[in-house]
Amino acid sequence: MTAKNRIITRRDFLRTGSCVVMGGLMGLPVLSKASAGKTQKSRVVLIRDGGVVDGTHLQDRLLEQMLDEAVSTLLDEPDVRLAWKQLVRPTDIVGIKSNGWSPLPTPAALETAIETRLKLAGVKEQNISIDDRGIQRNPVFKNATALINTRPMRTHHWSGLGTLLKNYIMFVSQPWAYHGNACERLATIWQTPPVKGKTRLNILVMLTPLFHGVGPHHFSQRYIWPYGGLIVSTDPVAADATGARIIQSKRNEFFGEDRPISPPPRHIEAADIKFGLGNSHPERIDLIKIGWQKDLLI
Amino acid sequence: MRDPVCKNRNPIKSAICCDPPIKIKGFMKTVLQSRMRFACLVVLITGVLTVLMAPTSQAIALEDLRTRLPGEISGWKAEPEDRIFDQKTIFSYINGGAEVYRAYNMWQCLSRRYTKADGPAIILDIFDMGSADDAFGVFTHDTDGKMIDIGQDARFRSGWLSFWQHRYFVSIYAEEETASAENAVIALGRAVAGGIPQKGTRPDILRKLPAEGLKSESIRYLHHPVILNYHFYLSDENILNLSADTRAALASYQLGNESARLLLISYPDQDAAKKSRDRFLKQYLPDADQTGMARLEDGKWAAASLKNRLLAVVLEADSRQMAQNLLRTF
Repeated sequence: MTAKNRIITRRDFLRTGSCVVMGGLMGLPVLSKASAGKTQKSRVVLIRDGGVVDGTHLQDRLLEQMLDEAVSTLLDEPDVRLAWKQLVRPTDIVGIKSNGWSPLPTPAALETAIETRLKLAGVKEQNISIDDRGIQRNPVFKNATALINTRPMRTHHWSGLGTLLKNYIMFVSQPWAYHGNACERLATIWQTPPVKGKTRLNILVMLTPLFHGVGPHHFSQRYIWPYGGLIVSTDPVAADATGARIIQSKRNEFFGEDRPISPPPRHIEAADIKFGLGNSHPERIDLIKIGWQKDLLI
Repeated sequence: MRDPVCKNRNPIKSAICCDPPIKIKGFMKTVLQSRMRFACLVVLITGVLTVLMAPTSQAIALEDLRTRLPGEISGWKAEPEDRIFDQKTIFSYINGGAEVYRAYNMWQCLSRRYTKADGPAIILDIFDMGSADDAFGVFTHDTDGKMIDIGQDARFRSGWLSFWQHRYFVSIYAEEETASAENAVIALGRAVAGGIPQKGTRPDILRKLPAEGLKSESIRYLHHPVILNYHFYLSDENILNLSADTRAALASYQLGNESARLLLISYPDQDAAKKSRDRFLKQYLPDADQTGMARLEDGKWAAASLKNRLLAVVLEADSRQMAQNLLRTF
């Protein structure tokens, strides 16, 4: 049986603990260089503003300011335009991978803010597109040289958490093929040609995260709260791991007991330990917290 | 078999094709014409029944149930328009979670929204699963919450009520939790269950689960690998050949300090069962001994045993002895 045709079973996950072995099993080259690199800490910026979530509305201007401050801090570049120029070239074709899940979509104001800043960095308007479910048919995404990845964090029926890692599942034609073992192999999508090496920035929306889901729709207003945050990083694993810690803390606080995310979001740690995409452990994350500190949960 | 009277098997056209009179004299003519009419009538009735038994009949049944739903419950009023979703359109309604319902062969879903000026919206979703087996199965997909006496089995947790009755799985939840909304959810559940006069039977395969140590609340009924992998990840491929033609029960056991997970699968025939057992052993337990038992990498034991068209798989057991005990009856 060739490596390419090798069937992956639970026993493989039990017996393997290294990305080298799993990479071989999957018929995929081991990710040699994650966006943050495995040999150094990943920088993650958590920015919050107590006023950005105003009842059921968002304060768009505050959201833009949060984005600018987070990106500037992440890249050590006070000038927003220069900061974005570190991320993209004027010649880039940029897909903004958003998320349209109707109960909790990526805010339109954030999508627009990202688009505006890409233009500020010199990217041509016709070379920018915002999309979610249509990306496989979208000519900008098909020809993209760069991707900006953004979505709200939420609990998820199949993967435990809807994460930045999971946001790329629309790049594959059979998303359900990744559902095994709580979507543990999601990081392998990041190694596929439409995605590999293209992600310049990850923005995890923590404005009103969903920390628990019930029912067919997996949504209830009861389980969102106005956290008022954004998590920004070039390392999607580190950003997701940071968001996951906040969600877990919120669940414990809300339920008054240790209430693990269910199913466990294995794909985050697997993206680190098995697939080498980034850093998931706090000691390897340089977390910079700015802005509103109340009920930070991390 | 071809219809001896009418070549056209379409029930509507069958009635027409017999219209041209056949010229036969005397008594025989009368008898034959009478028989012809009778035969046509049988064909017509059979055709109509066939049409009624097709999926469209479920639409009528769900429509019947719809007419029995309350227009108002505890002050919450039904919005004017109900929505109906099928296997394709359900994804537009409940996103990725729709895969669960498709994996249980959902036929249709009726969604109704109840609103009240000073209360959260209440969402009623009635899934016509086509069979009691699948209604029960989708109910067992999520068994969190406290048991409540509505329908044939019900659970209530955090503003969400789910239950099954006959071939229907019903979900009712309040968008926000308030005491009055919870009461309304439960009252609505009772009203919906009251509108379903029939009851269904639980899947036969449940009776084959060994009773000793069985944790009844852990029982899941399924026949799709995506559901099995959700509850117990086995493989990216369907190595047990689960399909719409297979019936499977997954359950947890606790005996003293030891625990185990058992999967029973009933195949259409013995040959299919044997092929599946062989594939499972080859791809999952290649190191199994002659009794079909192997120790997993985490120290637990797994095993497979075949009896006629029933395959019993111990997915994991704390000890070899426990695995053997579970398989003893097969």
